[in-house]
Amino acid sequence: MEMLHLQGISKKYTGGKIPAVYDITFSVEEGEILALVGESGSGKTTLLRLISGLEHPDEGIIILNGNIIAKGSHSLPAYHREIGMVFQEYALFPHFTILQNVMYGMKYPKNDHRKKAEEILNQVNLIEDPGKYPHQLSGGQQQRVALARALATDPKVLLLDEPFSNLDPSLKQRIRDEMYQIIKRAGITAVFVTHDTGDALTMSDRIAVLHNGILQQIDLPHRVYNTPQNEFVAEMFGIYNKIQVQMTEAGMTSPFGLIPYQQTPKTYHSHAVIEFRPEHVRLENSQKSLSGMVVHVGYFGDHCTVKIKGDQQQTIVINCEPLISIQPGKPIYFSLNTFQIKPIQKV
Amino acid sequence: MRLYWRNGWTLIAFLMFAAFSIPLFTIIGKLFSPPGDSWLHLKNHLIWIYFKETGILLFGVIIMIGIIGVSCAWLVSRYEFTGRKYFEWMLILPLSFPGYIMAYAYTGIFEYTGPLYSFIRNSTGYESGSYLIDLMNMQGAVFIFSISLYPYVYLMARTSFLKQSMVFQEASFLLGKSQWQTFKKIALPLSRPAIVGGLALACMEVLNDYGTVKYLGIQTFTAGIFRAWFSMGDSTSAIYLSAILVLIVFLILFLENSQRGHQKFSSVITSSNNLMMRKITGWKKAVTFAFLFFVVLIAFVLPFLQLCYWSWQNLNKVMDMSFIHLLFRSFLLASVSSILIIAVALTFLYTLRITPIRWIKILCKWSTLGYAIPGAVIAIGVMIPLIRLDKWLVQLMDMHGTLLITGTIAGLIFAYIVRFLAVGYHPLESGFEKVGIQINEASRMAGANSWKTLIKIDLPLIKTSLLAGFILVFVDLLKELPLTLILRPFNFHTLATKAFDLATNEMIAEAALPSLVIIIVGVIPIILLNKLIRTIQV
Repeated sequence: MEMLHLQGISKKYTGGKIPAVYDITFSVEEGEILALVGESGSGKTTLLRLISGLEHPDEGIIILNGNIIAKGSHSLPAYHREIGMVFQEYALFPHFTILQNVMYGMKYPKNDHRKKAEEILNQVNLIEDPGKYPHQLSGGQQQRVALARALATDPKVLLLDEPFSNLDPSLKQRIRDEMYQIIKRAGITAVFVTHDTGDALTMSDRIAVLHNGILQQIDLPHRVYNTPQNEFVAEMFGIYNKIQVQMTEAGMTSPFGLIPYQQTPKTYHSHAVIEFRPEHVRLENSQKSLSGMVVHVGYFGDHCTVKIKGDQQQTIVINCEPLISIQPGKPIYFSLNTFQIKPIQKV
Repeated sequence: MRLYWRNGWTLIAFLMFAAFSIPLFTIIGKLFSPPGDSWLHLKNHLIWIYFKETGILLFGVIIMIGIIGVSCAWLVSRYEFTGRKYFEWMLILPLSFPGYIMAYAYTGIFEYTGPLYSFIRNSTGYESGSYLIDLMNMQGAVFIFSISLYPYVYLMARTSFLKQSMVFQEASFLLGKSQWQTFKKIALPLSRPAIVGGLALACMEVLNDYGTVKYLGIQTFTAGIFRAWFSMGDSTSAIYLSAILVLIVFLILFLENSQRGHQKFSSVITSSNNLMMRKITGWKKAVTFAFLFFVVLIAFVLPFLQLCYWSWQNLNKVMDMSFIHLLFRSFLLASVSSILIIAVALTFLYTLRITPIRWIKILCKWSTLGYAIPGAVIAIGVMIPLIRLDKWLVQLMDMHGTLLITGTIAGLIFAYIVRFLAVGYHPLESGFEKVGIQINEASRMAGANSWKTLIKIDLPLIKTSLLAGFILVFVDLLKELPLTLILRPFNFHTLATKAFDLATNEMIAEAALPSLVIIIVGVIPIILLNKLIRTIQV
């Protein structure tokens, strides 16, 4: 079932030259976690604020659980929307205790508030005295309280604004996994904004990529990563190699040697580009495979990145396990696991 | 080799501290000596009246300025409507109106021949005695103090509302709370320390005031001190009353301090502090506009126009060479005193800058305490040791009759420094804070001594703060009344004492011109102040 639907949403700030978001359409299924990814200024935060009701769109419709909550400049105020939000800096009320923060927005009968709040704090794994004040908590604990406070109102949709940007890198991994489990266990529909593609890939069911206010691609994480729809999406998620090739019946001739087809193509283009991620490469011993010259080796502990030069000054970067035999100036042999072929229309 | 804190600066700072704390120690010390002749009468009859009247006055003023100040601050910092930008600074204007001048102006507005009464009488035939509304009572005093002191709360609350991250309110909206609930539960409690701070400042002003209560016939402690000193000639009772007043001030300071003590939180989130103003339209806009317009009208425009009208009417009578002299003397006294105050403040701060040790810090803090002490108390605290010093000098030099320092400009300026040091101190302090200590250290590491560093590096960098401090002190001195009244040389007048003198002698209209000068000069720092707060928004 569709929980949230955006149709043709556009918003321009007064004084802004271009729209902050333009003609955005997508839906989020019930129980699904969607990541909104983009650089700063891409419009991802604006989009989140439009959904929350803190901003109002110029055009378009937002439907929540079958009800229209915004249509053009007519919109339901934030406090009537039944949407929860975890703010980037948590925005815990500094003059309230943990418990008071969590109970603040509750709509249950008053007598149940305390019990409910304790239940929810339990649910988010906060093991702390609920009578403490926010400034007495660590960053990770504050985030749990913020999450608990948002969940306490039984929202239809949970919004998270850069939920991990204030956490220590060493903590981040753990909290990210935990957060995912908490949200999934609660069965709540969630939309979160991040500039970190790692967050998006690990924490979401689907990813929407924004650039200059325009939706570039919305798809499953592995599809966004492996088959990006355009160059921007490709680069956003890391290094993306491109090799110019000529398609012949025997295979594709490239600066690194002859690349065999994985499936027989329907048409043969004289000019094409093949694209692949650095880790979609396997090292080989045999000289029959592709080859090039090692230019640079970057060591990362669990793997290394190798920059390889082929003919015509073409270079690619691959990831592989660290081996002593790989050294600048020495030849290297490899083959490709998966790649995309894109024809080039010559004018 | 010598002790690291032993330098010329610390020596001077210590000597200055010793001199400037004499008045306060005198007052506190006198508490332990036997009371004077009329003390018994005072104790049995008057002191309870002083307690009662001061208490009721403070209570009424706190309630009124709390309501006016907070509501105005909330409206201009959270809503967007036509004229908001103008209201923002016009609401501060009453700060330029000393209470006593406000009282004169309103007496004029409400009197039988005044414009308002005449208008109402002619159009409706309503009559209620010689005044439309009689201000010579407690309600009148609460009214006058409220409209001239609410800007303290307004300023503090507005700054706090502006600094308060919008994020807290957004979070509250998303948790299903309305504007009003959010204001009540989130914005107001977060700003409470600032609002109480503003209230405390206003209370100090009420306790310090003599002109207004004297004119309206309210028996506060300050009025009591004057009465004991001048009418009964009983200096010991005056000192006793002063000491009690100091205790009240310390109590207020203590309460103010302790209410912020147990909540050490910062309501400021640095990033994503996007201030979102809600546009209001329709009747809400009309009501908001009408309310703010009414406040500005009552608290500034009407009394200001009344003063202008009087001044114009009496221009020929008042505007003569003696007025020019008065103006010149007032400005000269205020300028010289301001420069001295800035110099003293600078000495304290620079000493702290190059020798940042604990006891220098305490010394600086104590020296700025004078601002909390009512002027009349400081005047008495200055007078007693001065008379003693004079007696000693007379004996020493074997002269007869004349007192050398008591009742001279020197004594007055000394008292000004004791009372107004804090006003010059705080702008300089924030100036130094902005510059940072590293620049000073870099200079001294490069081989310049502390004196050269001050002249070449620090002073040029804080010159705007120096100017701001000077202007603030200058304006405060120009309208200062109780201290000047007690310590001025015989027949010496400032604009403030002249206005007071004329008004108490039933020549209100003639008092208008000196009052007007005080107010117009007072508007300058208000514009500066508003600019300062606006930079917080950006």
